[in-house]
Amino acid sequence: MLERQAQWQKSRQALTWPEKIRMVEQIRESVRQLRAHPQSVPR
Amino acid sequence: MKELAQLLNEMQQADVIRNYALFGASAQMRYTEPVATLDAAVLVAVNSAERPDVLRDIYDFCAAKGYVPEGESIRVGAWPAQFVPAFSPLTADAMEQAETADFEGVAFRVVRADHLAVIALSAGRAKDLTRILALLESGSVSRDSIKSLAARYGLAEAWQRFEDRFLND
Repeated sequence: MLERQAQWQKSRQALTWPEKIRMVEQIRESVRQLRAHPQSVPR
Repeated sequence: MKELAQLLNEMQQADVIRNYALFGASAQMRYTEPVATLDAAVLVAVNSAERPDVLRDIYDFCAAKGYVPEGESIRVGAWPAQFVPAFSPLTADAMEQAETADFEGVAFRVVRADHLAVIALSAGRAKDLTRILALLESGSVSRDSIKSLAARYGLAEAWQRFEDRFLND
């Protein structure tokens, strides 16, 4: 598990800066949509 | 974020601001893995630093381009942008010595990793201390470079406390 986590961390760090920013933007947009439509959250 | 870079460059060309540099979590991501953040924090040098409403020209410039205030920020595309005047020697130097990065073809001034770490050290909140550890872990800054920069701004003791707490066995 620790080895997998280290590999994931390396792969995230290998992203370019704009790619990292885009990733955060996508997560924020997903959160915004879930807040706007809470019924779409799996219960 | 590209939209914000373009806006800041236009603002500088129009002489609304003398200089700028992105800092905070958005800048940190240039050096570390992605981190959650709510806004984009920008250090600015304004021409009207002695006025009580130092950010007025920035807000007027943004409003003329259709960017409206949202709380303490101005929404630019997907990002609430928070403009912070660079008044202290540390933030002024961090802004002046920032690097110009390429963000999807647009020049974007970003505070260096060592300055980000020392600004975080001066703020001292839990998320700031986490930022220092992330910058160290990414290899974008060394303990020695933070130590010497911290000493330059009277933060030698704060750095010693940080090392004792998080880095020294």
